[in-house]
Amino acid sequence: MSVKTYLPNTSVSLIAVSMTAIWLSACANNLDNSVSSNVKLPPTDNVKLQLLNEDELAFLRDPKRLRWFNLTEEKVFNQLAQRDEHGVKQYVADMMATINAASFQDGQDSTSNIKNGILEPLSNTADSTSIPLNVDAQGYNKSKIIQPAIFDKYKRTPGPINLQRYVNEQDGIPTFAGAPVAIRTEDLVAGQVEVAFVGVPLALGSGWRDSQHAPTVLRGMYGLGGYDIAGGVDPTLILSIADFGNIATSYLSTELNIEHIKEQVSAMVEAGTIPFIVGGDHSIMYPTVAAMSDSYGKTAFSVVQLDAHYNGTRGLDHYYSDAQSVSRLLEDQIIEPANLIQVGLRGPSQDKEALEWLRETGVKYHTMVEVEEKGWDVIQNNTIAQAKGAESTFVSFDMSVLDPAYAPGAGRPIPGGISILQARSLVRRLCAETKVIGFELLDVAPYLDTSYKTALNANYIMHACLTGIAMRKQGITGSNHLDPLALTP
Amino acid sequence: MNQIKCASILLSVGLLISSPQLLAKAQEETEIKGPVTPSQAGVVPENIDSATPGLMPIKPLKDIPENVLAILDALPEKKSEFIKSGKSNVVLKSDILFDLLSSASSTEAEEYIDTIMSIHDQVEFKKGRDIESIELNKASPDFNSWRLKRPQSMNPEREAGPISLGRYLGGGRSGIPTFANAPVALTPEDLIAGKVDVAILGAPLDMGSGWRDAIHGPRAMRMLRRGTGGHDVSTLINPSSVLNIVDYGNVAIDQLSTERSVQEVRSMVREIAETGAVPIIIGGDHSLEYPNVAAMADVYGKGKVAVVHFDAHLDTGRGRVHLLSHGQPIYRLMKEAHVRPEDYIQVGLRAHYSKSYYEWEKEIGMKYHTMAEVERRGWDAVMERVIKEATESTEYLYVSFDVDVLDPAFQPGTGTPVSGGLTMREAIPIIRRLCAETKLVGFDIVELAPALDSTYVSTLNANSLMFACMTGIAMHKKGITEKGYISELSSEHGQDDYYGDKK
Repeated sequence: MSVKTYLPNTSVSLIAVSMTAIWLSACANNLDNSVSSNVKLPPTDNVKLQLLNEDELAFLRDPKRLRWFNLTEEKVFNQLAQRDEHGVKQYVADMMATINAASFQDGQDSTSNIKNGILEPLSNTADSTSIPLNVDAQGYNKSKIIQPAIFDKYKRTPGPINLQRYVNEQDGIPTFAGAPVAIRTEDLVAGQVEVAFVGVPLALGSGWRDSQHAPTVLRGMYGLGGYDIAGGVDPTLILSIADFGNIATSYLSTELNIEHIKEQVSAMVEAGTIPFIVGGDHSIMYPTVAAMSDSYGKTAFSVVQLDAHYNGTRGLDHYYSDAQSVSRLLEDQIIEPANLIQVGLRGPSQDKEALEWLRETGVKYHTMVEVEEKGWDVIQNNTIAQAKGAESTFVSFDMSVLDPAYAPGAGRPIPGGISILQARSLVRRLCAETKVIGFELLDVAPYLDTSYKTALNANYIMHACLTGIAMRKQGITGSNHLDPLALTP
Repeated sequence: MNQIKCASILLSVGLLISSPQLLAKAQEETEIKGPVTPSQAGVVPENIDSATPGLMPIKPLKDIPENVLAILDALPEKKSEFIKSGKSNVVLKSDILFDLLSSASSTEAEEYIDTIMSIHDQVEFKKGRDIESIELNKASPDFNSWRLKRPQSMNPEREAGPISLGRYLGGGRSGIPTFANAPVALTPEDLIAGKVDVAILGAPLDMGSGWRDAIHGPRAMRMLRRGTGGHDVSTLINPSSVLNIVDYGNVAIDQLSTERSVQEVRSMVREIAETGAVPIIIGGDHSLEYPNVAAMADVYGKGKVAVVHFDAHLDTGRGRVHLLSHGQPIYRLMKEAHVRPEDYIQVGLRAHYSKSYYEWEKEIGMKYHTMAEVERRGWDAVMERVIKEATESTEYLYVSFDVDVLDPAFQPGTGTPVSGGLTMREAIPIIRRLCAETKLVGFDIVELAPALDSTYVSTLNANSLMFACMTGIAMHKKGITEKGYISELSSEHGQDDYYGDKK
């Protein structure tokens, strides 16, 4: 857009459409070489740069650093015009000092947290490279310790516990898909459970934070059981399903949850199940995928991420968050970039820098622009073909991939998403046509939707995958199989 | 023995005349004495950790049944001593343990004990095995970015002072939503130049344990100006014309760490108070009480500020893995001697806290006023007592208002609501009076979670409470500090002497 620049090599290509541009080009020759041969300013403004040193001039020529202040060369021009040479010097020096202060400063963590002889452990935490915890806490690890069966007051044989009193119970104790409850992995093994639901109530996401209530709300909503008209199967009949309860989470730190979630999901895999993880925010993707990688091997599976967000932010001060689950997975070499397929990207955080990074690292992505351009069928087929690049598939479904019309209760909603029909079709197909080893549904924020819509759609998404898995179990793995009975002959 | 007997007599009498005053004594309760000598300003109270999990002494198991004792005594001494010491309580409560052991064979019993000991080892912190702090990415080019201030030299030059955002001579709303429609101040110099009395600061910390959305509290209160302007009917005071009020913007928050955020909050609140202005902090969750009040101590001196804490919750949590959360600010403030326990006054408590919490508060000398006290004594009596305590404690007062002290009927938009709370008609006068009749140095409204209330009600009430306090501050500035002042003009048409007290 902007045709103004400090740089001669780009100014050559200027089409002098604006007065300013002409003005700039015209004055290029008048520049004082001792200031900079690169910077072009109107003669009247040239003098304004005379106090700047080489570093400061370089700063003005660096679009990346300017962008840090939401500035462009054009905007800076306007700012320079309003200042004298001392003002310009101050303006530039202050910005540079600010940007320099952004990184950790040597010695910034050396301030004492003893004040007036009293320990104030949090008084220097923002300056420090670590967040102190209270190691004196009694039962430091107790929230994450599994109670052994031997402590049960009333003993029982391992196996899923059915909580329904009646043969045809309509409601009662809410569990995922009305499934019996498995408390320990022994219950999963004894019940030969094929699909185990587990809730991960963690709400430390970057949007509205209510995903800790998603597991409870989805347990209390129907839509996860019964016949699927497109697949022609009833997955709750065909599959052995259990509700494995919730994984304990620390609500104050993402970091403290990583290991425990990974352990628990790995244990579910080891028990022979396909885990269906109900988040929680998208930071959960890191430990769930890491568990898959530990269990099946780094290259054994594709990850299909349906999400408006690429979640690949890099270089942040915290190591883990929803915005960086993907960058962590790749940087920590937990999966191969080529095995990650992202579908549904849109919104401002999916910018040039993000897309370039995805492309450079070799992540496969399908933005909503591509959906608009090529149509959903093409995207579906490509996604499935790409997923088949590995033996099996893990599906990470962020509620934001759906348009807010279908899922207003998503923590990080972005308009222009896919429909429930499109989502169900792709999910069913992925789960039927590839070997799914795990599925997660993340970032549902129930309180944002006063209707039942988001919860019902979330359950129908998971039902689509259950359907696919049941179809696959029945040997139905053909491309886009639809039950003939559901179609006019 | 005598006491128990006495209590049962009282119980029957109490039932006969159904007197709530007597009923309160009916239950058998251990008498806890308050502190013998008052705490000293700036000194950590001696018994601050008498009930802190991990720091208080572990009590040996009591009342071990004979048969269990026999089983324990048959075990190797190391194992039986471990159980008797009470250490096993963190793994398995003693009543369940006794049940299990009672019906166990000696081999089974030993298996139980071995399992308990092994779990105990996993449960307790072990250096080298367990992490003791959360590491941050020191190499991040944006390590400090979250709290870097924009250089003022990037703005057009201007004289220091509040920035008015209005365009029209006739006043009215500028279009830009600010707290109480106030002008904006960005620096302490603006506060000083504008002789600012009240600076309202948003602090969108969103790490509560219940429903979250306190992040949007400041935004909601700015966007709904309703409730913050004009004259207060009880006093006919218009705080906006008496006081210089500014919106001081938001303080930077690291939404992934309460611990990191509070250092920045403390320094920003301190910055306001150092100019002599009263900071009003709009949360954000109740962890903020810690940096807010610590900043008061930084400016006015340790132990020099009393705090009235309005809340359904005690917020005296302690001994947890995280050093601070919205359930623990009070412990941390007293643990660091910013406030003396005697100067902590809590109002509206009713969440489901166990006896031991109240016993500890009593032991260290805190002043609590639960909804049980309101039920027993009536609101007016409790309000008078709170105001008396607040005015007598110290020279300065800080008021921390968790909106969940209100009944959910008035405040559905909060993260950890508890039924049976205050009405707005109870809350407004006490806030106005505290802010008028004491030397108020700071005020906060926390835990507003707009997403939980699809109506305007929660936000309107939060704004109205801020208005009530600003009315009080304005009264104080005008020298109206008489107890329970109410305007003659607005409280009575005065055409006759209906109430028989016309002057």
